[in-house]
Amino acid sequence: MAAYILHLTILGGIFIILAVSLNLIIGYAGQVSLGHAAFYGIGAYASTLTAMNLHAPYPLAVASAMVFTGLCGLALGLPTLRLKEDYLAIVTLGFGVIIDLCMRNMDITGGPDGIVGVPTPSILGVSFRAPLLYLILVVLGVSFTLLVTHLLVTSYHGRALKAIRDHEITAQVMGINSPAYKVAIFALAASLAGLAGSLFAHYIQHINFESFGLHTSILIVCMVVLGGMGSMVGSVLGAVILTVLPETLRQFQAYQDLIYGGLLVALLALRPQGILGRGKLSLKFLERKE
Amino acid sequence: MFLQQLVNGLTTGSAYALIALGYTMIYGILGLINFAQGEIYMFGAFATVLLLATGRVPFLVAVAAGLSAAAVIGLILERVAFRPLRGAHPLVPLISAIGASIFLQSLALLLFGPNNRPFPVTFDFTPLNLWGLPINGLEAAILLAALGFMGLLILFVRYTRYGKAIVACALDRDTARLMGINVDRMVSLTFIVGSALSGAGGIMMAIYYNATYPRMGFLPGLKAFSAAVLGGVGNIPGAILGGLLLGVAESLGAAYISSSYKDAIAFIILILVLLIRPQGILRGKGH
Repeated sequence: MAAYILHLTILGGIFIILAVSLNLIIGYAGQVSLGHAAFYGIGAYASTLTAMNLHAPYPLAVASAMVFTGLCGLALGLPTLRLKEDYLAIVTLGFGVIIDLCMRNMDITGGPDGIVGVPTPSILGVSFRAPLLYLILVVLGVSFTLLVTHLLVTSYHGRALKAIRDHEITAQVMGINSPAYKVAIFALAASLAGLAGSLFAHYIQHINFESFGLHTSILIVCMVVLGGMGSMVGSVLGAVILTVLPETLRQFQAYQDLIYGGLLVALLALRPQGILGRGKLSLKFLERKE
Repeated sequence: MFLQQLVNGLTTGSAYALIALGYTMIYGILGLINFAQGEIYMFGAFATVLLLATGRVPFLVAVAAGLSAAAVIGLILERVAFRPLRGAHPLVPLISAIGASIFLQSLALLLFGPNNRPFPVTFDFTPLNLWGLPINGLEAAILLAALGFMGLLILFVRYTRYGKAIVACALDRDTARLMGINVDRMVSLTFIVGSALSGAGGIMMAIYYNATYPRMGFLPGLKAFSAAVLGGVGNIPGAILGGLLLGVAESLGAAYISSSYKDAIAFIILILVLLIRPQGILRGKGH
């Protein structure tokens, strides 16, 4: 049981990274990406292949995964982010389909069987095989993601992004180069998804296309919307809820997608700001009213 | 070989064109993409196939029922997933439509099961011979039927009061309202017409591939969106042109480049179009 909870915690951590990074795109760039799982997959394969074929040490594998997925995000974002919101949604969805086909058919990704025996990370001779030790890596990854997001969101650039999201024309009049910002944030989010992919691959040690399909992309979108678009804490909460909930509701597995789809429609009609909205987790309700 | 691929491409392309018309009409009037268009296509096919499977319903009645089922689902979708969100950030209805699409797909999975259903009626067409070119009679019939639907749509939009009212709403919603047009009703009508067309596409492909299954609308829906962008979003002749071109490109690509990457072709075209000519071949109002 303890091992199972540890396993869920590690997966939850990986999904926190995914949800928080997608929230950068949805909540700050005001765009929808339906291909976030594709970046997650690219990161997983890139990290695995660097570690296995080049015998690169673990930190280098992670770094290469992040750089490579970031570049993929850049390549996809450049042509599409100049356009309206809807285009990115479809293009990223199509990108997801293309990457899915590549993972299934290419030799380097092991075809439909995927890759078995992804090496266990070891840093300075310490092997992170035990799940408890691996959790340390995941916690580091989550902290890194939250720190980067927090620093970005509270900086000048974060305010520029919020301005673009709230009123793009006004932001442009104020001299903010909105396409450049959108492309940059998209590439950053892709690169963080690559980090999540790398963490997943070296933990599960057997990757194939199934983990990185549209289903996963939609799940991440659900996490962000449930927690509240634009709220970092909300995305963390959404990721935790949607990692734990399916496990406790195993007997309803056949209805899972039905529930996710209905949840999205109902949530947007009734409470579009999500659980937390754009607010922060506030402890004000604990304060005594004067 | 080449000509045969061309005809195959035109046939699947005509289904893309019918779905693309739904996208384009709804985009034209609301400025939103109805992500669930592919699921409407699937439900149209299912309604027809299930009715025909009873063996007591004539073919044309089953087709009419399929079109009506698609139209009703489109209408419900507009009420539930779009109307409450009007005026919100465009992101919100977009995600809502994605949710509706997943919901409908998994609903079909629960109701109808994951298996392929063959089309209950078989058609016996004699192979035609057109100027020495052998043509599959079924393909010719599908293509003609699709062109017929497209022709009806163009007549409806150009020459009827309601069609003109829809165009007026697409051009300028506020002015249309001032002229006494009930914009809400026109939006509903657009969803009905666009969904019925997608349903028609679904029925045709259910006959053509002899398979109906819950996920059948997913890829055609996405590809039809690429077709709408290729032709120019919001432009009705553009959607037809885009759909047919996309079908041909896909069929030729599968034959001469690689069949395992067939499904990628539409999206590569989409990205190229957005890169080179985002307004589409015939200028749409999208950009």
